[in-house]
Amino acid sequence: MNSPINKILVYIDGSELSLTAAMYAITLAKTLDSELTALYVVNTRALNDLVSARIFLAEEEMDYHKDIEQDAERYLKHVAKLADKKEVRLITKSLSGTVHREIKNEIKENDYDLLVLGGISNIRSRRDELFNETDRAMRSVKCPVLIVKDEESVWDLYDNL
Amino acid sequence: MGFLELLDKCLIKIPLEAHSKQALIEELLDLMDKNKKLLDREMAFHDVLKREALCSTGLERGIAIPHAKTSSVDDIVLAVGISEKGIDYDAMDGLPSSLFFMILAPPDKSGPHVEVLSDIAKMTKSESMCRLLRSSKNADEVIQLFED
Repeated sequence: MNSPINKILVYIDGSELSLTAAMYAITLAKTLDSELTALYVVNTRALNDLVSARIFLAEEEMDYHKDIEQDAERYLKHVAKLADKKEVRLITKSLSGTVHREIKNEIKENDYDLLVLGGISNIRSRRDELFNETDRAMRSVKCPVLIVKDEESVWDLYDNL
Repeated sequence: MGFLELLDKCLIKIPLEAHSKQALIEELLDLMDKNKKLLDREMAFHDVLKREALCSTGLERGIAIPHAKTSSVDDIVLAVGISEKGIDYDAMDGLPSSLFFMILAPPDKSGPHVEVLSDIAKMTKSESMCRLLRSSKNADEVIQLFED
């Protein structure tokens, strides 16, 4: 029987949880011989909103945009190294826009079988505006979603791969 | 990391005692410092003032969001303050500011910093939410408001 998981997408936002998710995704990709892509999305929607709300000045927006692009490069390089150590071929992608929409479109356009995320927020509020982008991605994508938990056992899995 | 993850009862002050812009910045920084969130209080003060010098973070409808990218913190810190009478914060509409959200973030946390600011921008669009916040009597009421 063919594996139901041939293409895996892991979303990286630079948080510890997302980097743990990357390690789990590498473990899965190696075990299942799947294609693995790591995606970072520069949240230009939020940056534009801050300029519109006049919370950010134009020069601040440019400064933060540059910072976040550098973060994207740094974190994707880090994940590529983690994959390389385990001889897993990794495709890295950096996109810009509204985070959950970019994740949703990437999955739709490239037919991923699984989205791996590094945790969702605790339920503290029902206010829609306080759902974070990872929560929104989990709810809106069409493929199955795997939420990675238990950091220690993920490290063990990765180390023993 | 979003607004809710950062919202901490110990970092909410109601009512604020300050009557001026500089005193308000000092009061919220003191609150952060008291709760051991600052590595360097003077640097934090300097960096907040530096940002204010570019353009006041006093917005419209009584909302102000003083913020700075600063090495005076090692993680993002949010303090919330509510002033009963309002403070002249050089707001865009010239009216006194009463709802204050101060956010300090280290230089390597620009992504989450933007997300928290964006959460606040979305929340404060709601006039009813701002009204409810202004009528909060203590930190518990503020927390409950967001968690409802």
